[in-house]
Order: sequence, then C-alpha cells, then structure tokens
Amino acid sequence: MNQIPVTVLTGYLGAGKTTLLNRILTEQHGKKYAVVVNEFGEIGIDNDLVVNADEEVFEMNNGCICCTVRGDLIRILGGLMKRQGSFDGILIETTGLADPAPVAQTFFVDEEVRRRTSLDSIVTVVDARHVVQRLGDSHEALEQIAFADVVLLNKTDLVTAEELTQVEKRIRSINATAIIHHTLRCEVDLDAVLGRRAFDLERILAIEPNFLSEDDHQHDDAVKSVCLRTDRPLDGARLTEWLQSLLAKRGQDLLRTKGILSIAGQDKQFVVQAVHMLMEGNFTKSWSPKENRESRLVFIGRNIDESELRRQFDACIA
Amino acid sequence: MSFSAEQRETSLLDRIGTRRMLDAYVVGVAFLEGGVLAAALGDGRVAFVGGASADASRFVSVHDGACLSLAADLGGERVLTGGDDGLLASTDTAGETTAVANVAGRWVEPIAVSVASGLRAAAFGKTVRLFTRDDSAVGTFDHPNTVGGLAFDPKGRRLATAHYGGASLWWTKAGGQQPKRLAWSGSHLSLTWSPDGKYIVTAMQQNELHGWRVADGADMRMSGYPAKVRSMTWLPRGRYLATSGAEPVVCWPFHGKDGPMGKAPLDLGWGFAGVVTVVAAHPRHDVVAAGYEDGATILVQIDRAHPVLVKQPGEGAVTALAWSADGQHLALGTESGFVGRVRLSDWRAPT
Ligand SMILES: [Zn+2]
Ligand SMILES: [Zn+2]
Repeated sequence: MNQIPVTVLTGYLGAGKTTLLNRILTEQHGKKYAVVVNEFGEIGIDNDLVVNADEEVFEMNNGCICCTVRGDLIRILGGLMKRQGSFDGILIETTGLADPAPVAQTFFVDEEVRRRTSLDSIVTVVDARHVVQRLGDSHEALEQIAFADVVLLNKTDLVTAEELTQVEKRIRSINATAIIHHTLRCEVDLDAVLGRRAFDLERILAIEPNFLSEDDHQHDDAVKSVCLRTDRPLDGARLTEWLQSLLAKRGQDLLRTKGILSIAGQDKQFVVQAVHMLMEGNFTKSWSPKENRESRLVFIGRNIDESELRRQFDACIA
Repeated sequence: MSFSAEQRETSLLDRIGTRRMLDAYVVGVAFLEGGVLAAALGDGRVAFVGGASADASRFVSVHDGACLSLAADLGGERVLTGGDDGLLASTDTAGETTAVANVAGRWVEPIAVSVASGLRAAAFGKTVRLFTRDDSAVGTFDHPNTVGGLAFDPKGRRLATAHYGGASLWWTKAGGQQPKRLAWSGSHLSLTWSPDGKYIVTAMQQNELHGWRVADGADMRMSGYPAKVRSMTWLPRGRYLATSGAEPVVCWPFHGKDGPMGKAPLDLGWGFAGVVTVVAAHPRHDVVAAGYEDGATILVQIDRAHPVLVKQPGEGAVTALAWSADGQHLALGTESGFVGRVRLSDWRAPT
C-alpha cells in the first residue's frame, strides 16, 4: 500500500486558511483530497470527503507535557485507510488556536499512521497586517510559524513594502528554513504548497537557508533558528548520543530539529528530524562524488544558547 | 483436530475453501442464519455471500462513505453496521436496510449486540446510544472523549466503554446515572468483557493491554507487544484471551483466581510470519484462527505445537475473521477485498 501524503494547514482565524483550502480543492489538478476540518472551522468547504475532527490532544504516558499526540487524528487516518483508492492525499486543517506539535508528533509516534501516510508539509497562512501583533500576544501563532515548512504571507496588499520586509524578517528570525511566499488571497502555485516532501528535508536543507545577519534586538518570545554547519565528517555515535541527550533534556524548548549530516565512514546522508523530543534518523541517499559533504543542522526553539550548541556540535566532529 | 507439518504445503482454502474478490477493504465479516456470510466494506457496501445459492453474492449500498464496523444483528438474520456517514444501519440478506440512527458528522465505529438482553449499542463519537430490537432509543451515555470500544457484560445488564483515561461502566436499564469510572492514564482504543463477566480488558495506544477485575477494580497490565493490539478474542469459557499485535498469537491465562497476574502468556503459532492482525476464537474448542499482516491465516490450538495453514500469504493484511455459531465455518477478509470461507467439517484431519 502506498503512503498517502498529508498536508497540514495552520494559521490564525481570518488569515486565509479556508481560502487556501478551497483553492486546493477547486483547482483543476485531477487529484482528490480527503479533508479533515476542525469542529470550529470556518464553513463552506466544497468537497466530497470532509471529516470533522475534535482535536483531542492526548498525553503520551511518559509524564512529559510536550509529548502529546492527536488521538482523533490517529482514529480518522485509520478510518480513511478503509476508503483506499478513493483519494490521493489528505489535507488537515487545524484551529487557529492549535499548537501544531501534537499533529506533527502523531506522524512520529503512531506506527500505523507512519506506515500508511507521510507528512508532506506543514503550511502556515499568516496575515501580513496582523501577524506581528499576534506573535506578541499568542504562543500558538509563534509555534505555527516555528513548525511551518511553507509560510504563506497573505494579504500583502494591506501593508506597505517596508512593513512587509519587516514582517518577513521577523518570520525568518523565528524559522530560518521555511519557504515564504507572498500572496494576496492565497494565490500561489499549488506546487508550492502540495507535494513538497518537506518532511523529507533533503529538499529544504538543500536550498540554502536564508539566514539573517545577527539579529539586532531581543524578542520577548525568543523563538529563533540556529543553523550549525561543518565541512568535516561527524562521528556517528557521538552525534547520536549528543542529539538524544539534548532532546531528552531540552526537547520541550526545541520545537523542531532538522539536519542532513555527513558521518565519517558512511557514503550515505544521515537525515535527522525531530519534533520536540521525538527524533527520527535515517541514512538516505548517497552523497554525490561531486558534492561538498557539508553537514547542516537546524534547531528552531526557545531559550537556545547558540554558542553552546555550536561547541557541542563541534565536539562531534570525527 | 490435530496438525502436521505437511499441512503447511497446501492451505485449507486451496483444498476445500471458496474465495471471492469484493474489491474494497473488508472491515468485518459475520455469519448469519442459513450460512450466509455478511461482509462490511470500505466503500460503504455490505456484501452477502453464499447461503442457499452458494455462489451468489448480493451487494447493498448502505453507507455513504466507509463501513467502519459490523456485527450480526439480533435474530441472526440481519447485519448491523456503523459508518463514517453517521449512520447505524440494519440490513437483511434481501438487501432491505433500515436506519437505526443517523447523526450527521459523527463516525459510528464501535458497535455491540447483546443477544441476552436484546440490546444494541453504538458509539457516535463521544456519545453511546442504546437501542432495542425495534430501534427505540433507550439510553444515551455521554463521555468526555471519543469512545474507542464498547462491550456488554454477558447478561447485557451493563455496558463498558473505553476512552482516553480509562473505561466507564454503565447500567443499561438506568437513566440519569453517573458511570463507574475505571481510571488508567493513556488512550484506550478497544474493549472486551470476559464471558464469565469477571474481567474487562482494553487495548491501548502504547502497545499494551490494560485489565480490570470488575468486582474490585484491581488493575492488570499486559505489555510487551511490538505493535498495537487490534483484535482480542476469548477462548471458550474465558479460559484465555488471545490477541493480535505480536508475531505469535499471545494468549493470556484468565482461568486462575487472579487472572493473568504474575503469569506468562502462551505464545502460539509460527512466530515468524510478521505481526498477527486479527484473531478469532472457535466457539467450542481451544482453537484460535489468526490472520497476519502478509495475508496468511492459520489455526492454532492451545497445547499443540503445529498450526494448520488456512490461507497462503497474499491479498494484503487480514482485517476480518469470524466463525459460524456452530464452529463449522470460518471466514476471513483482507484489506484488498479478498474474502474466503472454509467449511471445516469437510476437512478430515490426519490422526
Ligand atoms: Zn516531551
Ligand atoms: Zn529581530
């Protein structure tokens, strides 16, 4: 059975999430989607297969508050698999107030979900005019940007060019690896949103993360991205041990971790993904002989001490 | 019955079975009166196979979406199905369907039928509703979370439900009641009540079972599974609980005073054919039918070493298994729409 791609749409109420959802559903692309909407969703979704979710967030029984999954989603995805062949992909809309972590963690934790589906990308729609204010007053708005693989910076006609630059800078400082698109009414080529295989990572880290120069001022929230690189091969055992203990200790603050790493004595790329404490690492494709085997590791999170992470990372160099 | 290694060469299905492709995920199978086999399908249809005209099959479009659950209805001549369209339906072999209840926007997943009390129960999300034989609604039980599993006690006087945080026990004849809560942290996905009424067991999200002794609420943990336990079945008189979720068929002993506590389970079957996905106990003998993720199906007997091959691997994971009430017929279904049945009285075991 093929793995069915899943796209998660997040964003505050009024940012344009439903507009994007309806654009995906009505555009002629010859694909059918099952849509999972939240029970407080904006109405008017025109699709054959719409499932209401009630966003039941369950703790994972390890006593940790960041280790949560969406129990309803596990059940819904299991149920949708019984309709095999009647759709090509799944779109999950979350409420504006939802923290994306439990959704993303569901795809790490549940064995059956992992086998039957693949998390294609998390797309966050933000309102260019209101997002900065939202980031100031809402923990969830920050998390939604931190978790995004793709950000649609929407309603760009409502801000000046200078404001737009500031907003984009701010989003970048939180999430350095997200691909940002400017849109008016979520008008974006759907290839930019669907079929991204962003959770495969190779693609996203292959694109040079667009880092800011040193940030000039502090933010209250202090969610930021740190990117570590080296051209020298890493010691696999030391690296794994470090990442495991780091995520066990600091996983609540580390929202996302993504890396493509060159391990000494290995021809293949070591690809690492984590959501909070849940980590997954695999050797994937081989480095090409022409390629510079540069390791890149990105952390997005709170209270990150960049120099300490860099020191620990450098200690993993073989 | 006895088993020998040679039997693995050809399956019972190849020698004495019948097979059918129904072209949609088989959600559940059940035998009805007259030997008709009912199958609920992932495209919303219910199929009736065999019976008087052994080769005939009838398809009835029941749900606008997928069937999610199936049980033989009261009287054994109809089939009760829940769907992701919010419908709880009862369908007879002639193709006549009646809507027992319809709650738009809710999935109707766990259902249960109590022959002893003449009641049927179905979960519509967080709410469990109870119906009599004539479809009158006689009870509504609300829960803080979605109900993953439910079961009647042997007499149909009580109903147990599984949900996040534990299980709840309800009286089927009382209104306005508070349930007895059996708390155990975590997500409880399905539930079964032992045939002697003494134990309730749930299957949990984190690949383990949790049990309670009904009399005093004593907890019991049954862990060590590599996968989620999707299927549980009681052997005759409730002596063992056989389960899916591991490479062997894991059977927990429940015949002692303290149930399985402090005892190791029996591991039956091959133990090397991938994970067991469905189990169904024979109604009279200590025999369990077990289906695997690769499509293979076997019969295993407590205290016997060698299983009998019912079906070769293929056609996707086994998703449904059922015995006829007399234990003479076994049916199975897979995720790709394969349905097979074997009449075991046609089979002469080597002695
Ligand atoms: Zn945690
Ligand atoms: Zn700044």
